Amino acid sequence: MSLDQAATSASSGKKSGTSFSQHMNELSLFVAIVVLYVVFTSTANGFLSFNNQINILRDAATIGIAAWAATLIIIAGEIDVSVGPMVAFISVVLAFLLQWGAPTPVAFALSIVIGALLGSIAGALRAYFDVPSFVATLGLWSALRGTALFVTDALPVSIGRNDTLDALDRSVLGIPPAAIIMLVFFAIFSFVSRKTAFGRSVFAIGGNAHAAFLSGISVSKIRVALFAIAGAMAAISGILLVSRLGSGNATAANGLEFDVIAAVVVGGTSLSGGRGSMLGTLLGVLVITLIGNGLVLLGINPFFQQVVRGLIIVIAVLANIQAIKRSMSRNKG
Amino acid sequence: MTQTSLAPNLAHGPIASVKGCTRRYPGVLALDNATFQVAGGEVRALLGKNGAGKSTLIRMLTGAEIPDSGTVEVDGEELRHAGSGRAQDAFDKGVRVVYQELSLVPGMTLAENLFLGRWPRKGGVIQYAEMEAQAFEAMGRLGLERAPNTLVASLSPAERQLLEIARVLLGKPKLVILDEPTSSLAAAEAEKVMAAVTRIASEGIAVIYVSHRMNEIRQIAHSATVMRDGRIIDTVDVKGADTREIVRLMLGSEGSQAAALENRSLEKTVLEVRNLALAPKLSSVSFHLKAGEVLGIAGLLGAGRTELLQAIMGVRRQDQGEVLVDGKSVRPGHYKRMLLRGFGYTPESRKEEGIVPLLGVDENTLATNFSGVSKSGILSAKMMAEATRKVIERLHVKTARTDTPIGTLSGGNQQKIVIGRWVYANSRVLLLDEPTRGVDVEAKAQIYAIIRQLAAEGRSVIFVSSEIEELPLVCDRVLVLRDGTLGEEFKSPNIDQDALMAACIAGH
Repeated sequence: MSLDQAATSASSGKKSGTSFSQHMNELSLFVAIVVLYVVFTSTANGFLSFNNQINILRDAATIGIAAWAATLIIIAGEIDVSVGPMVAFISVVLAFLLQWGAPTPVAFALSIVIGALLGSIAGALRAYFDVPSFVATLGLWSALRGTALFVTDALPVSIGRNDTLDALDRSVLGIPPAAIIMLVFFAIFSFVSRKTAFGRSVFAIGGNAHAAFLSGISVSKIRVALFAIAGAMAAISGILLVSRLGSGNATAANGLEFDVIAAVVVGGTSLSGGRGSMLGTLLGVLVITLIGNGLVLLGINPFFQQVVRGLIIVIAVLANIQAIKRSMSRNKG
Repeated sequence: MTQTSLAPNLAHGPIASVKGCTRRYPGVLALDNATFQVAGGEVRALLGKNGAGKSTLIRMLTGAEIPDSGTVEVDGEELRHAGSGRAQDAFDKGVRVVYQELSLVPGMTLAENLFLGRWPRKGGVIQYAEMEAQAFEAMGRLGLERAPNTLVASLSPAERQLLEIARVLLGKPKLVILDEPTSSLAAAEAEKVMAAVTRIASEGIAVIYVSHRMNEIRQIAHSATVMRDGRIIDTVDVKGADTREIVRLMLGSEGSQAAALENRSLEKTVLEVRNLALAPKLSSVSFHLKAGEVLGIAGLLGAGRTELLQAIMGVRRQDQGEVLVDGKSVRPGHYKRMLLRGFGYTPESRKEEGIVPLLGVDENTLATNFSGVSKSGILSAKMMAEATRKVIERLHVKTARTDTPIGTLSGGNQQKIVIGRWVYANSRVLLLDEPTRGVDVEAKAQIYAIIRQLAAEGRSVIFVSSEIEELPLVCDRVLVLRDGTLGEEFKSPNIDQDALMAACIAGH
């Protein structure tokens, strides 16, 4: 009904509509970011300062690194809720490895491999045993947080002095390495999602898994690989966490998975799969981070911040869906 | 019309009549001055090939469509509403349709499904005892003796069909229309549904039974109305009528004039199927396919055609039997390996299994082999466009750009791409399941030409179709699938439509 009405009320411009609607989502997010900047600059003291902008970048990195992988997973029609505990668990693993005297590069590599292996467990449960990915990663979510808390007694695991980790927390030309790593991975994931058989297969699986299978795409293998990648990306976040805190911490990254999913969804990726973009997620990450940062600077009660955040996320997605619907029906008409 | 005289022992008058109805769609005359009548207590079979006008006639009776001219009467009163009220009017007068797509909730019980949404309630609480007692009675009427608290998920397909019929009967209908109710059932199961139909009629309800299985029709129908090109051709007494005669009515005289293909001699066998069985549809299927041959598989809806192709491709695992490629037996259930052997498969339901609607024509074509358009693992936009353009040109696909989302293309163009992806993958054996379904006339002709061209290049094609008239145009040889096994074989140039249709609908 509403689609039809929109179609009749839509203006002409059919030709330009296709390319325009493809970027409709990114465009509206960009407008949202500009609005947030204007609002916070005029209301929050010190929002536009260099230091605060660096803070925003650093916070964005925590969400962003995990969000790139989560975008692929959601495009494939799956979901991963295990991100936060995975980051915390890996930070603990890394701290112990270093305590036991493992050389830093080896400890890093092992952490990433362990992250990938843990992720692939969830992937295999989904791909070969038809366990819904929400359930598989929910199990991982609980087990990883529990294990980390159990072995550390919820106390930080200190790592002592470590030059490599210190370097990871030292800004380069004023920019934190975490932000650089985030942007490098953004470039890699954008490329992979658009320009490789793997990336396009992910879209095909999310768009119609049955058709993808009949076309000869290795649906199961790709599903496992996706969750392994997500685990590895969470492990990288875990390493950065250790470099920032100087310790492994079982209670860290609490609720990160929801920030990640919110960023991806705000970025216009469809939870039902088949549709989405890395650029959208990048903008989504910025929106989520800006809101968090601005509300803190405004000195709003931290409990009430959560209410505002929830409202803004839902409104952002609602506006996005409306915008996409309108531009799609314009194309049809 | 003589139908009333053919339905003896019927104390009831006409329940529904269509008088001189015409309905025109853009480019088609769907119903051409049709006059049709059905009486209470009568089971009337309705026959005709795809597009003969059966569905339009049914929609006239249900009020889903309004005739351009002519009138429809139900229970002695004319349907007068012009808008959506018309369907409600027909419903209120007692017209009900049992559709093929079942509308049951598998996770709920038989009784809950029977009263779905209209559960007997007291103060908002469902009265289970009362509901189950009523359900038991209603099901018993149709010969379905199952506990009312049985989950629908555990019912057989025939039992589900009976449940659908029981649900329709709750509204005390005067006319029940069944649209190919046995097409998804094995023969023994179908008996249950037919018994139920006979019972309904004995209660004075008029039944219209759309089916092409002659043995069923002979068993339960009093008479059969045959449609062709939107017209009612004749109403015949099925018990006396010869299958050949009915086929002649269905296809008309122009049927057999299609230009037949020349007989070609082919040498190398690429595929052999030995005694393949897959319960409940296939009991024992054996055939072989030569390089460069187009082999048609004819059969009615539900004959097991799709199951046969899926078993060969390894999408399903057969219960018994063997599939041999180039003389070597293949392990069942390995789809990917069949692709590597140079096989390609296009599914029957294009939308559900054939295309990824949001992705472009290019990616829908190239998904079978992305590495063919990659340079060191990176997709090359130029190579993708080139490879896609080749397929588009060869198969005459109409699309603005190579990366247009395939969901926006017409059905015919989508289907050409679904076939085209195996042309791109250079498959040597193509299994096409109903490749011309839902495709316009021009695209159909193009698809026939594509298939012949592929065969001329030495590729083999298995062409499954329920449209009898297209088989002689495309196939070197046609096999008829019926009762779980392959029966008659027809070879070009002697593929006779009438004989083919007769073989498809014939009884045991």
